[in-house]
Amino acid sequence: MIQYSIEELHELFTKRFLDPIQYYEELFQEVNYQQKRLNAFVTITQKKAYEDIQKAHFYHVLSGIPYALKDNFHTKGIKTTASSRMLENYIPIYNAHVVDKLNQDESCLIGKASMDELAMGGTNQSALTGCVYNPWDSSRIAGGSSGGSAALVGSGVIPFALGTDTGDSVRKPAGYCGVVGFKPTWGRISRYGVIPYASSLDHVGIFTRNVRDMAIVTEAIAGRDDRDMTSSTKPVPQYIQNLNVNIKGVKIAVLKTVSDEMRNAQIKDNFESIIQVLKDLGAIVEDVTMPKELMKCILPVYTILANSEATSNHACLDGIKYGTRQAGKTIEDVMIQSRTYGFGTHIKRRFILGNLALATENQEKMFRKAQKVRRLIVDELNQIYQQYDIVLTPNCGSIAPKVNEAVDDRLSDEYIILENHLCLGNFAGLPSLTLPSGFVNHMPIAINLMGRLFEEQTVFNVAYALENVLGFKNQFSREG
Amino acid sequence: MNFEQIIGLEVHCELKTNSKMFSGSPVTFGKEPNTQVNEIDLGMTGTLPAVNKKAVEFAIKVCYALHMDIDELLCFDRKNYYYSDLPKGFQITQERRPIGRNGYLDIVVDGKMKRIAIERLHLEEDTAKQFHFEDYSLIDYNRAGIPLIEIVTKPDIRSGEEASAYLEKLRQIFIYTDVSDAKMEEGSMRCDVNLSIRPLQSQQLGIRTEIKNLNSISHVQKAIEFEALRQEKEYLQGRSIMQETRRFDESLQETVTMRVKGDAVDYKYYTEPNILPIRLDHQWVLDIKKKLPILPDQREKNYIENDKLSQADAHILVSHKELSDFYDQTIQECSHYQFVCHWLLGEVQAYLNKHKTTLNEVKLTPHFLAKLLNFIQDETISSKQAKKVFEYIIIDGKDPEIIIAEKGLKQISDENILNDLINEILDINEQSILDYKNGKDRAIKFLVGQVMKKTNGQANPQKTNQILIQLLKERID
Repeated sequence: MIQYSIEELHELFTKRFLDPIQYYEELFQEVNYQQKRLNAFVTITQKKAYEDIQKAHFYHVLSGIPYALKDNFHTKGIKTTASSRMLENYIPIYNAHVVDKLNQDESCLIGKASMDELAMGGTNQSALTGCVYNPWDSSRIAGGSSGGSAALVGSGVIPFALGTDTGDSVRKPAGYCGVVGFKPTWGRISRYGVIPYASSLDHVGIFTRNVRDMAIVTEAIAGRDDRDMTSSTKPVPQYIQNLNVNIKGVKIAVLKTVSDEMRNAQIKDNFESIIQVLKDLGAIVEDVTMPKELMKCILPVYTILANSEATSNHACLDGIKYGTRQAGKTIEDVMIQSRTYGFGTHIKRRFILGNLALATENQEKMFRKAQKVRRLIVDELNQIYQQYDIVLTPNCGSIAPKVNEAVDDRLSDEYIILENHLCLGNFAGLPSLTLPSGFVNHMPIAINLMGRLFEEQTVFNVAYALENVLGFKNQFSREG
Repeated sequence: MNFEQIIGLEVHCELKTNSKMFSGSPVTFGKEPNTQVNEIDLGMTGTLPAVNKKAVEFAIKVCYALHMDIDELLCFDRKNYYYSDLPKGFQITQERRPIGRNGYLDIVVDGKMKRIAIERLHLEEDTAKQFHFEDYSLIDYNRAGIPLIEIVTKPDIRSGEEASAYLEKLRQIFIYTDVSDAKMEEGSMRCDVNLSIRPLQSQQLGIRTEIKNLNSISHVQKAIEFEALRQEKEYLQGRSIMQETRRFDESLQETVTMRVKGDAVDYKYYTEPNILPIRLDHQWVLDIKKKLPILPDQREKNYIENDKLSQADAHILVSHKELSDFYDQTIQECSHYQFVCHWLLGEVQAYLNKHKTTLNEVKLTPHFLAKLLNFIQDETISSKQAKKVFEYIIIDGKDPEIIIAEKGLKQISDENILNDLINEILDINEQSILDYKNGKDRAIKFLVGQVMKKTNGQANPQKTNQILIQLLKERID
């Protein structure tokens, strides 16, 4: 099987240089191979994909294009587990909005991808089906929480996949897996039908292997959905048509408060080289800072807000209407038994935390305070955007960790700032794109570009220009 | 020792919008269980709420009727608790910023007007309906998500009678503003009572109990009367009143303990993150006021002052919107206001009561009633004939004019015709003239009867009487 981009595949299909059925036969051989290596799928939807590809007309650029969904997107009639025992056998009665959109465009779903349980985590090790391995080195993690989607695109088996991003759950694993990861402005893509984590921070995100494909998929799934009142009524711009490598005069702020925390010399050098490339391309690149004390608040603020919203969002999972039900003497007992059985330990810990922060007696000093600090951080960030179009940071401070070394909770300054800053994009709802920028010890590393609200195009263009120079376009790893 | 009752009421009212508060599924009643639901009403994970604009409009209508301040920034909160009738594990409501604040409702008890202050009115969604059996429970989600408004009074109410008057008035407002059927028996209007007592002149509030499961206004009154007495007894016997939730047991006609409030649930209210605050269009909010119908208080006032109806009649008319509306429409075409009122409350009501039906179900229209009453007024038909015509209208829905023509019910009031008719009768009834001369008044009755017989009862009775006596006198002389 040859690993094509969306545009390449589209051209081959429409010009009949490639037989779609034959291509899908090869594709599923590769799927089975990669599944053994990466453990990235929860469900493989081979039968449905064959049905869909036979019906495809190839009018739309996404028609007949194979893709995967993180297992928290509702798919009617197809098991949607969110990698949780609670939803182990849950078959939805409706489609997420973006699934409807991709169906309209005749994209072909090939499977549901593994994730951290209920999207809570950054390693994909809490998935019910087990850890997802990194396509570049299967002794390492793919990252999380959208680990399955990242690994599949990184392995080359599909040109795009959808994930969700509440803290950095698309962009972090994208960096680890050497692919492009993007979440647009909050409200740009409808969240209807996506199993939530924390509504005010949740975003639908996308993995592709190049920036053009990213623009294509974003344009296809963005837009107002009346079922999601927080989705924007702003018309969706023509991102692909407006893609431009000319970034002369674009003002880029290097967020030193983050980049100063880098300890790995190779990653540091790589980051410096990226700055030079941007300058060579004619961008105006300058250093900016944010108060370190505020930056150190990102993790605690995130922990409080995300877990508080999560505990309420997941209150519907009580075993009464759907989901795994355990027997009990009373209705309350059924709920308690079902939730005790259905959720992993770390989920329960997060629910307890969330409930603690939301409790009326604590709400002012925890939940509401966290909301206020979020606001302070966003205000500080907006100051930067008064003068700059883009904020540039390293994606994180290391390559993908080894499976047994990956831990979610650490408290060093380096960890607290460098491993959590991507959450700025969730606090402020800004478009944020992670782009492969090089390799360290044969593992991919990445940088992150974050733009103004609804200025996805600027982010795409800077990424497009960089990608053009750096040469990591369409990279993947079938082995390792 | 004399006590004072301190009562506050919380009223929930289901709005009769086409679709639910936050989903597109229909609002209907009496349908097969779990057929009026979609993934949102079932609390399927991943669903999101979309606010029903009509429900907001309905809430604002009631806000206006209750003289409330309207918050044009529409905000929703989550009320978190686990219960099997609550599909999402939280209810979307308006805790921090209710759409309406600081209103009032005037009630009349024992002829005295009293103003009941209303603290807040907020929008929320209804829960599912549960049916508990011995070893299993069933849940019907048809009700889940139906828009509700909750109206909370200040603790201004002092007796069961006042509570009853308040609820009756509130119910009328729901019906007049056309936002709800407001049927307590069917649960589309529900009332919880908060009640405490204190010795008269005391300023300190006592411990209150909450009474739930009240499915009629008279039950509310009875429950309050029972509960106040119970609290008084407890007080007088030196026992403390427990803070608890009680329910009204219909068979015992008593309030009984439902649960003691020891472990109160912390609802952990916080702003609903999936509905950003909505700035309502000021003009839209103002325009809703224009759509408001004339409310019962104003109607009653108009009936008394403009139409010169008695206070009692005016009150009865407004107590049923359909009656009041019918009256208003009838007087558009018949300006004999009291006459219309008497017919409506007399003949019409009697018919409806007798046949156990309602104005909406019979074929009588204000237009036909007005026409009928105008025929009586201009002596086209007699009152007696009118009653016959009325029966035909109400059953067949026919125009009274046609009925009168078809049934030959038109009254003969022309004096020349009557003169000739009566003379003919007198000519063949000489004995009766003699009887009359001899002072037998019965003769008149007999002769009128003859005229009626000859005219099929169409002769105007007053005029016949009058002309007959005149002609008799002439003949005797």
